[in-house]
Amino acid sequence: MAEILINARGMQCPGPIVQLFKEAQNCASGDILCIEVTDHGFKKDIAAWCRKTKNELISLEDEGGVIKARIKKN
Amino acid sequence: MGSEKVVIIGGVAAGTKAAAKAARENQDLEIVVLTMDRHVSYAGCGLPYYIGDVIREEKELLVKRPKDFRADFGIEVIIDTEAIKILPADKTVLAKDLNTGEKRSFAYDKLVLATGASPFIPPVEGAKLGNIITVRTVREATAVKKLLSERDIKDAVVVGGGMNGLEIAENLFLKGIKTTVVELAPHILPAHDADIALNVQKYLAEKGIRVLAGTAVKSFIDDGNGDVGAVAAGEELLKADLVVLSVGVRPNVNLARECGILLGSTGAIAVNEKMETNLNGIYAVGDRAENINLITDRHVWYPMGSTANKAGRIAGINLAATGAEDTMQGVLGTSVLKLFDLNIAKTGLSERDARALGYKVETVLVPAPDRAHYYPGSREIVTKLIVDRESRKVLGGQIFGEGVVDKPIDILVTAISFGATVDQLARLDLAYAPPFSTALGTTIVAANVMMNKLAGKFTGVGPLALKEKMAAGALLVDVRIDKEYFVRSIPGSINIPLRRLLERVDELDREKEIILNCKVGLRSYLALLKLKGLGFEKVSILEGGLVAYPFETE
Repeated sequence: MAEILINARGMQCPGPIVQLFKEAQNCASGDILCIEVTDHGFKKDIAAWCRKTKNELISLEDEGGVIKARIKKN
Repeated sequence: MGSEKVVIIGGVAAGTKAAAKAARENQDLEIVVLTMDRHVSYAGCGLPYYIGDVIREEKELLVKRPKDFRADFGIEVIIDTEAIKILPADKTVLAKDLNTGEKRSFAYDKLVLATGASPFIPPVEGAKLGNIITVRTVREATAVKKLLSERDIKDAVVVGGGMNGLEIAENLFLKGIKTTVVELAPHILPAHDADIALNVQKYLAEKGIRVLAGTAVKSFIDDGNGDVGAVAAGEELLKADLVVLSVGVRPNVNLARECGILLGSTGAIAVNEKMETNLNGIYAVGDRAENINLITDRHVWYPMGSTANKAGRIAGINLAATGAEDTMQGVLGTSVLKLFDLNIAKTGLSERDARALGYKVETVLVPAPDRAHYYPGSREIVTKLIVDRESRKVLGGQIFGEGVVDKPIDILVTAISFGATVDQLARLDLAYAPPFSTALGTTIVAANVMMNKLAGKFTGVGPLALKEKMAAGALLVDVRIDKEYFVRSIPGSINIPLRRLLERVDELDREKEIILNCKVGLRSYLALLKLKGLGFEKVSILEGGLVAYPFETE
């Protein structure tokens, strides 16, 4: 299973979510998507996105102001 | 002539500040502070954090002990002593030792009244039950801490959703107690505007604190042992083994009124700008005295630590009678508050106050990042700016968000204090580097949006008016891209992304009112310009976008 890192730091709306949609389309079930974002509004977005797309949010952390989310593709 | 005698009644913020300043100004004064409490000069505003163990020990809250006052300033602090009568004709205060009951009189040349305010106890059945408390003094806060450590408190109800009540609720919640806030007014933070307060309410609910606004407490119910067991609030029965009453304070004015000191229209003691009452040689400061609102010039009553300290210092200078004089021109009722990671600040008039006073009010609600969006730690804050359309002067501001709010509110305080217009505010040369701000800064961005609005470049619909507008047939068009819309949207809206607006414009009925929405307001403004360019007339934008939208999204 692959682990894909998406660097969406510095991106403002809608940048991070667009990146996530794009990468999620290209990866296989069971793959791990790691996305790093500096837009804090993304914290709410990522939870809602996972819920609606039925992907699994493994972890969501704030490391020194950078939001790091790990998602398992369904 | 012997040294002048100064008696100060009250020993928390304003009283001790007046005493210390007077002593520094004039070393010949003989100063006595009388206080009913055991503690003097304590950080009353720190009490919620003491309950929450952010501040662990009582001693951390005490700024100075009575013996420090004697050693540092030669001020005599007499604790556990209640002033029971003022005799202005004899220039004497009669006081009682609360431990022994012994009475003593103190002669004064100058008298300062600084006995503060007392918590209001609502006239509700069962209010005297055990474990129903107020938190105004160190003694009370220590009692709560003791209760929390000795008993297994599971459910708490905080009555009153003002700033202090919410701080206490947060700290109880962080101790693992299920906490409900009951507020009688339609929303928590009653002094703030509803569009701001409802966002705070939503945030607290997301964190896990239940808020029942617009709800009256009907009674407190005995658990069978004389302690509170439940609270009847509205139509609900809330389980509670601890109740904190935080429904505001009332100025302690009886002592003053009985001796002929006049009260103002607010019910607090009337003072002039030198902090003098109507009686010669008697000053009043702190939570029991009135203030002047800097904008309206009207008498107001803001029981705040920041104001109390300033008033105490001014009284200290004036009563020291060294020839120097100081005056208080007025205050703005500025406040700032932290709840979990959310910061909320307010200054000047609220929109509601400004409208009630007859100003031609214009407001904007503007989200913007508190520092460069790419710099780690950057957070969105929402600025509400309130301006008088005629004079263009800034009347007030309210700010909330997880970012820095105290800097921008202090910029507004400064601007309002010097009578700035929104145009002047927009041109301030504010500090900028990515870790601190954006190139313009949130305040200037908000001022620019306001200038656009005053110039008629757009009309806005506030989030509170949206539902009514939609019920009347207005169409809410979300102009973000489909992926953002998929993640979160306002119920009843349709999605036409900004970049596809021109090709899909035929989907819009020109006769209908159209309200445009995006995340912060920028794309809806661009969409508005496009639609206006195409001849649409009834177009406006949702102020503050999704970021400032205080209701449920889907």
